[in-house]
Amino acid sequence: MLDKHPNPAFYPLLAALIFMAVGPIVLMLANSFKLDVDIISGTSGLIFLPTIQNYETALCDILWYKPDHLDFCQLKFGGSFINSIIIALISTVLTLVLGAMAAYALVRFRFLGRDTASLTTLLVRMVPPAVLLVPVFGLWNNDFCIGKNTSFGEFLRNIFGGRGDVCLEGTHSGIILIYVAMNLPFVIWILQSFILQVPRSLEEAAKVDGAGTFQVFFKIVLPLIQPGIAAAAIFTFRIAWNEYLLASALADRDTKTVPILLVNNVSEFNIEWGVIMATGMLLAIPPIIFTLFASRQIITGMTAGAVKG
Amino acid sequence: MQILKVIMYTAISTVVFASSAFANPYAEYEKTTLVVNFPAFPHYNSIVSVLPEFTRETGIEVEVDQLPYLKMRERQTLELAQEEGDYDLISYVVFSKADYVYADQLENLAKYFMNPKLADPNYDAEDLIDGYVQNIGIAGGEKGYLPGPTGSLFGLPSGSETSVLMYRKDIFEKHGIKVPETYQELLKVVCQIPELEPGMGGMASRAASGHQASHAFLLHLAPLGGKVFDNNWNPVINSAEGVAAANALKTIVDCGPEGAMAFGPSEAAASFASGQAAMFMDSIAFAPGFEDPEKSQVAGKVGYALHPKGVRRASQTGGFGIAIPRNAENKEAAFLLMQWLTSKRGDKLIAMAGGNPSRFSTYADPEIQEKYPFAKTFGEALRYADPDWRPIIPVWGKINADIGTTMSKVLTEGLDLQEALDGVAGRTRGIMEDAGYYTWQ
Amino acid sequence: MNTANRLTPYLFLAPAAIIMIIALLYPLGYMVYGSFRDWNPAQALSETEFVGLKNYISLWNDAAFRESLGVTLTFAFFCVFAELILGVGLALLLDRKLRGMSVLRTLFILPMMIAPVVVGLMWRYMYHPTVGTFNRWLESAGINGIDWLGRNALMSVIIADIWQWTPFIFILALAALQSLPQSALEAARIDGATSWQLIWHIKLPLMMPVLIVTGLLRLIDAFKVLEVILVMTEGGPGLSTEIVALRISRTATEFRELGVAAAMSNYLLVILLLLTLVMFTFSRIQEIRAQRAAKRIQEES
Repeated sequence: MLDKHPNPAFYPLLAALIFMAVGPIVLMLANSFKLDVDIISGTSGLIFLPTIQNYETALCDILWYKPDHLDFCQLKFGGSFINSIIIALISTVLTLVLGAMAAYALVRFRFLGRDTASLTTLLVRMVPPAVLLVPVFGLWNNDFCIGKNTSFGEFLRNIFGGRGDVCLEGTHSGIILIYVAMNLPFVIWILQSFILQVPRSLEEAAKVDGAGTFQVFFKIVLPLIQPGIAAAAIFTFRIAWNEYLLASALADRDTKTVPILLVNNVSEFNIEWGVIMATGMLLAIPPIIFTLFASRQIITGMTAGAVKG
Repeated sequence: MQILKVIMYTAISTVVFASSAFANPYAEYEKTTLVVNFPAFPHYNSIVSVLPEFTRETGIEVEVDQLPYLKMRERQTLELAQEEGDYDLISYVVFSKADYVYADQLENLAKYFMNPKLADPNYDAEDLIDGYVQNIGIAGGEKGYLPGPTGSLFGLPSGSETSVLMYRKDIFEKHGIKVPETYQELLKVVCQIPELEPGMGGMASRAASGHQASHAFLLHLAPLGGKVFDNNWNPVINSAEGVAAANALKTIVDCGPEGAMAFGPSEAAASFASGQAAMFMDSIAFAPGFEDPEKSQVAGKVGYALHPKGVRRASQTGGFGIAIPRNAENKEAAFLLMQWLTSKRGDKLIAMAGGNPSRFSTYADPEIQEKYPFAKTFGEALRYADPDWRPIIPVWGKINADIGTTMSKVLTEGLDLQEALDGVAGRTRGIMEDAGYYTWQ
Repeated sequence: MNTANRLTPYLFLAPAAIIMIIALLYPLGYMVYGSFRDWNPAQALSETEFVGLKNYISLWNDAAFRESLGVTLTFAFFCVFAELILGVGLALLLDRKLRGMSVLRTLFILPMMIAPVVVGLMWRYMYHPTVGTFNRWLESAGINGIDWLGRNALMSVIIADIWQWTPFIFILALAALQSLPQSALEAARIDGATSWQLIWHIKLPLMMPVLIVTGLLRLIDAFKVLEVILVMTEGGPGLSTEIVALRISRTATEFRELGVAAAMSNYLLVILLLLTLVMFTFSRIQEIRAQRAAKRIQEES
């Protein structure tokens, strides 16, 4: 259905919608370049002298120079940023590989326990992170530990330092593990619909040529479901990058991620709006970039994930 | 001759060397790295800014983990319970004292002050503000959380605070308002301001649900003569004084600046600093921020007065202390840091950087008084600091949260004051019963 | 088939299964077990005392918990309801090939992709009683400011959620609209149906299965919301925005009652389980019905 002459009222509507969707983000961007005095006194709108001072404050631990306005570097954004990247990237890659393999098994094979596996995957999708808070907190702190007197525990303590038993709590691996587990059901679910679309004949042909199942999977199936992988990757990354609650329960001072830093500073004594907006912008930039460059994959992922639900 | 000279030199240098080794109690701990857990709080920002000085003097490195203070408490709950913890020195909110001491998680400081190698003979503990030490440092005496013959010292005050009334001199002068001395006058002025100065609230106060609202309520409870418990742990929060305190809070919030009922301390302070309220009654910790023209639009216009009197003068005692966890790795070096921070010199350095003094001598220091116009008033306010304005018992967290949500409901949903407080008293009794406070009755 | 072949699916499934068992299923079981115990964060679960159903019963009688349950339900239903109406409405309005549609879709996704903590932060700023954008606008228009996060806190957080998630429904509804069988629409149009009739009798019924599933998905997600509210109001004032997820986290960290928090989590899980079941049943029934309807329309034309 092609509208040759759309009602001219649609364009103002479109503009209004775009304004509403993007307005708050632009506002935050603008404020991140203002001094607190300007934000509070309300020198209104977009007319102001932009300053990068807020970004300097946020990034003080990785800047090569010392900003004049700072006595000491309090906000250690750089370190958290690196933690966030490590955690988000590793958990995304792991989730995708393991999820794709599991999805392949569920789609292409009939085996004992297939229905149970499939149903469990579906059901655990609804579990909210808040529900996992208590058990994960307990397990990661007390049960998933290696005694410090065992040889492996000693080995880890020698390499990484720290004290006490070696527990998952406070490590990157601990946070990655829960993120992978949380994202797997969703990834398995959306990849299933993509794998279904891979023509069986291609796989059969490869098998005739002597390829094993693993080869077929990695060489034929994976490349063919790339759009699905891309969509799943973005969604997994989004959660791992943005998640706050579980990370805040599991991270210690060396493994803090950016959302934790942000929340810590919002509830702080003096809200320094400018600096917080700058931190928020820095946290929001990677997802924004993904969205601008891969919006089609995101929409594919959303429709595949929901409509087939 | 030559030989004699050499011998003499050697002897002298040995003596010098030896004495210098004794003169530096820090030598043994050089290159130690202490991990400390501090709140994100103006006083501790000042400490962090003077820590390089400590490291330069002693060779002890300090790594700071700064968290918002409620987060810090959560973190410590976990860290202190471990067999071996990460933190060598922690700062704790005053109401954590009960939890930590009760769970046997803090070092008793007696053995450090007894140790001649560690304790500085010139420390002058008499000079420490006694209300703070009693409130924050000592446990085990009267009622369990106050000093007394059975009490002992577990922490030292650092970033402790009391409450004062801060007001806009210019506004008060303009309308010829007298600075309120009593609660009656205070509540009158609070609602006068919005009429005289349209758009300006009377007083900015904490009121946000939870801890903040509870804090704001208790702030008025003590001077108005009320208490949370009587001497037998019976909740008496629903007494006439309790209702009066709740009423005071409600009046203040109703006549306060816009959005007042969601204010935390930072919003309340920001509202005062941007000229939207004529008064602010809270911790002295905020004062340096108000005098900083970069952060405040009211710098130079703020007057400071004692917390008004109800039936008695009783300003709050609160804030933070520092202590050594039992599971710390470098306890002795941590003690040295603790002692340095609360010494006369350290206290003054921190105060000059904007922190709250813990010593009388710091408040009396001419340099400090010159830099901070409010130092004198604060020195006097400290005499009325009430170490027992809120109970510090292990179950307090839960009672505090209940008072806080109930007060917030009073403010937003207009609950009946007496009924609301009766509810709190009833639930509190249940909590106390469960915790075994009525075992001996 | 030899044994190696029969093992293949398990080999593919094993890594994912192991991780999900260790980090999802086992913790869930651990939590159910913990919910019957008096458990504080300083204890390992094995050191705790068994208290039977005490946690569940005391929660049931706890006015604060019931209130936060009420808040959660109100929040979830209002959000989803408003988002469905707005999202579907917009999709019906904009279901045409306009220039700028792809730009709109891209920009529309942005709110969903940004971290909830950042969304909370933005809105907390915009709602700020004095500094905030909204009250500044209102005041410059001569209207008194609104006490957004005070008296109207729940409404305010609902608005923020609507801002963030209406695009989700919009995009799914649009996708559903564009995949409707064109033949059915053409046939109805030839029969002289007005656009309202088209929407009511053909488009909406055909979209229904997708809409219901989308709505239920959003509903389940609405129960997961926590960070936005945490940053905006921390549950206050009073308990007016304290959704169950937030209360779980407060009970665990602030009140230090892990057993009670676990029991609360179980209550929440049961609600979500029911919703999920409803979703399954609905989507099955609707699918069958939609197929029949589509077939009938095709036959009629």
